[in-house]
Amino acid sequence: MGAIEVRDLRKEFKAYSSRSGLKGAFRDLLTRNYKVIPAVNDISFSVKQGEMVGYIGENGAGKSTTIKMLTGILEPTSGSVTVNNMNPHRERERFVQTIGVVFGQRSQLWWDIAVQESFRLLKKVYKVSDEDYNNHMELVIKTLDIGPLLDKPVRKLSLGQRMRCELAAALIHNPPLLFLDEPTIGLDVLVKLKIREFLKEINEKYNTTILLTTHDLTDIEALCERVIMLDEGQIIYDGALKSLKEKWGEGKEIQFQFLEPAELKTLEEATSGLQVKWEVDEKKQVFTAFTEDNEETISQVIAKTVMAFRIKDVNIDETSTEEIIRNIYEKGMV
Amino acid sequence: MDKYIEMIRIRFLMMLAYRTNYYTGILIYSINIGAYYFLWNAIYGDKQEIEGLSVLQMTTYVAVAWMARAFYFNNIDREMADEIKEGKVAVELIRPYSYLGMKTMQGLGEGLFRLLFFSVPGMVIVWLIFPIAFSAEPAVWLLFLVSITLSFFINTQINLLTGITTFFLFNNTGLIRAKRVVIDLFSGLLLPISFFPVWAQSIMGYLPFQGISYIPSMIFTNGFTRVEAIEALLFQAVWVLILFLPIHLLWTLAKKQLIIQGG
Amino acid sequence: MFYFSMFFQYVAQYMKTRLEYRADLLVEIFSDLLFQAVNLIFIIVVFGHTQFLGGWSREEIIFIYGFFLVPYALFSAFFNIWDFNERYIVKGELDRILTRPIHSLFQIILERMELESLFGVFTGVGVMFYAGSKLGLTVSWYDPFVFVLFVVGGVLVYGGIFILLACISFWADARTSIMPMMYNIGNYGRYPVDIYNPVIRFILTWILPFAFVGVYPSAYFLGREEWYSYAFLTPLIGVVFFILSIFTWNEGVKKYRGAGN
Repeated sequence: MGAIEVRDLRKEFKAYSSRSGLKGAFRDLLTRNYKVIPAVNDISFSVKQGEMVGYIGENGAGKSTTIKMLTGILEPTSGSVTVNNMNPHRERERFVQTIGVVFGQRSQLWWDIAVQESFRLLKKVYKVSDEDYNNHMELVIKTLDIGPLLDKPVRKLSLGQRMRCELAAALIHNPPLLFLDEPTIGLDVLVKLKIREFLKEINEKYNTTILLTTHDLTDIEALCERVIMLDEGQIIYDGALKSLKEKWGEGKEIQFQFLEPAELKTLEEATSGLQVKWEVDEKKQVFTAFTEDNEETISQVIAKTVMAFRIKDVNIDETSTEEIIRNIYEKGMV
Repeated sequence: MDKYIEMIRIRFLMMLAYRTNYYTGILIYSINIGAYYFLWNAIYGDKQEIEGLSVLQMTTYVAVAWMARAFYFNNIDREMADEIKEGKVAVELIRPYSYLGMKTMQGLGEGLFRLLFFSVPGMVIVWLIFPIAFSAEPAVWLLFLVSITLSFFINTQINLLTGITTFFLFNNTGLIRAKRVVIDLFSGLLLPISFFPVWAQSIMGYLPFQGISYIPSMIFTNGFTRVEAIEALLFQAVWVLILFLPIHLLWTLAKKQLIIQGG
Repeated sequence: MFYFSMFFQYVAQYMKTRLEYRADLLVEIFSDLLFQAVNLIFIIVVFGHTQFLGGWSREEIIFIYGFFLVPYALFSAFFNIWDFNERYIVKGELDRILTRPIHSLFQIILERMELESLFGVFTGVGVMFYAGSKLGLTVSWYDPFVFVLFVVGGVLVYGGIFILLACISFWADARTSIMPMMYNIGNYGRYPVDIYNPVIRFILTWILPFAFVGVYPSAYFLGREEWYSYAFLTPLIGVVFFILSIFTWNEGVKKYRGAGN
């Protein structure tokens, strides 16, 4: 049995629509229109212990709803969820003992009291022994570098400081499974890096399973080998991030900056006969050539371009994950 | 002016969205009035009248006092306290309108909504259940309408004052609660002011509270002579004017405070 | 046992935060006292115009009010859930509650404690003793036990009703203002139910049994034998309502839709 087993999971919501204007509002007073919307539409997947999985999708794709069913907050409309060999909603109190949850936009800590008081209270809530707490939290506090924050009330912390404390709080009982919902939202790069480092470390040390939702794909790239993509309540891709890239990011991008004013048309003429598509940015500074991933073609494009204009800068990139994902959403199914 | 009217409209629509409040609200106000009706009946016993009010007038007084409360009552003091604590007020202050004016308009939007969907149908329901005397004179109705409009302003001004104190006290939930309790008693919602001992009445003559509930309710129940009613309206109007002063003063101080603390 | 120790953990935290804002604490106790004073003033002013209220004297009515204050204080201290809908459903705080291994209602009770309300117990007992001595009541050895039993019953009645009301939020997505207004209705249990019409008496006894928080149990101490059978029903009604409310709560949590969708 894996850490998470999801079979034909479905969650429906009633969406009320209000009629427009005053007259409509009066009619709403008596009856309201609603329709049943499946936020999560019969999805299945499983996650093995120790995996780090990125769960991605646009707003309203059903990410949060899935996470809420996996953490026992919501009861599914149909289908089965087994997490850590338990039914999250039915056996909630026993189940949540085995998971840690961080909601990026919602605090787990008590606003008015010092961070360490919150930790102490959570330690009791999760029935953690002094010994386990000391062994484990010492490392957590050190790695996250929150030692100096412990005696400050949460309301006085900056967002980055608070987020690190939130993460520590979610790990007090050293759960084998960690849910992170937008953990890096609004954080600066340094804090993001620190949090990623930390997650990798606990994953290695304790074989902790991590399920991560985020809008920031660099998080996913840094942490997850596997991604599950959701669109309109359905899984449209479930597999390695690498094969997603191989399949969709088949081309290369060559970016040129020139010393003299250039024209798209001239460039297109210069490289005619090659498999290449040109684009220019709004400021007419950076010209990008999209080609297939073939050394011969790339060399020829560069050679011919150099002949046409004098070059200030050249860059060869793979298609970025963000672009791949954008492509997928624009075109629909994988 | 348009934006203020728009604010009234928006609040009105917001209230409509929470419609279940009103079905239950009317029911509960009716139960409330009912309970007072029985209480007052027991208090009257065989007496024909107390302090010039008959049982019938007393019942009408209770009913109209509660239904009028639905109109003038609002929570803008608590809303302001929350907005100040969450730091939203700074944003409100850079908007091109008067914050306090906007709050008042929100209260008015809410009040008008409740007047139409709560007080009027509520009064009809209460009238079906309990003996209530409606005046047949249009003049009484007119005076009453003017009077509850003034009660709305007095109550809202007091709420604004309480709300502004959040700037200075940080946590004023206790104060807000205390204010509500004091207003329930001294406004005449629970008891007509004329029932109090004379010394207490003379103290309350110097306070604005009876302008909130006692005056409109007495006008409605014909408990005042015409001259008394006009005087009472003047009393309310004067208080509306007087209350502008402390509001203006505290608000000026509060804005300074806001600049110093940076919101 | 775990729940007991959690309770004291939260109490300790509560004390720490509250003592940081001592001024607020005083204002709150003061506003409670004010509230209690207003109700006493109401009774006193009313009795300035009459001798008896449905056959009950001024001191008896004051005694009932004193008794009412005790369960009410305990209720206010531990069942501060009148804003459950806004705080936990609309703002989604229930999500957080549900990811912790303690019964959700119990956590909310712990988080929302307002221990300063307990001050009302002293006021209540004080008022009872004042009225009791005016009435020449005597205290037998078992009275304190009966008192505790009735108070617990009253707290459970109040708690049960308000939990049931909070549960509405699980099913209806509309914000509801029933809770604040229900506080008003709760007050009618403070007056002798025989002044009300039979329908209201029935409601206050069996539907929203607020009469079990005031007049019925007090009747026992006032020696009003005609009400004894109701008085001794107090703990039973309390337990029944409370169990019903917990059951409804547990069902409601299953229906929870989550916030922000």
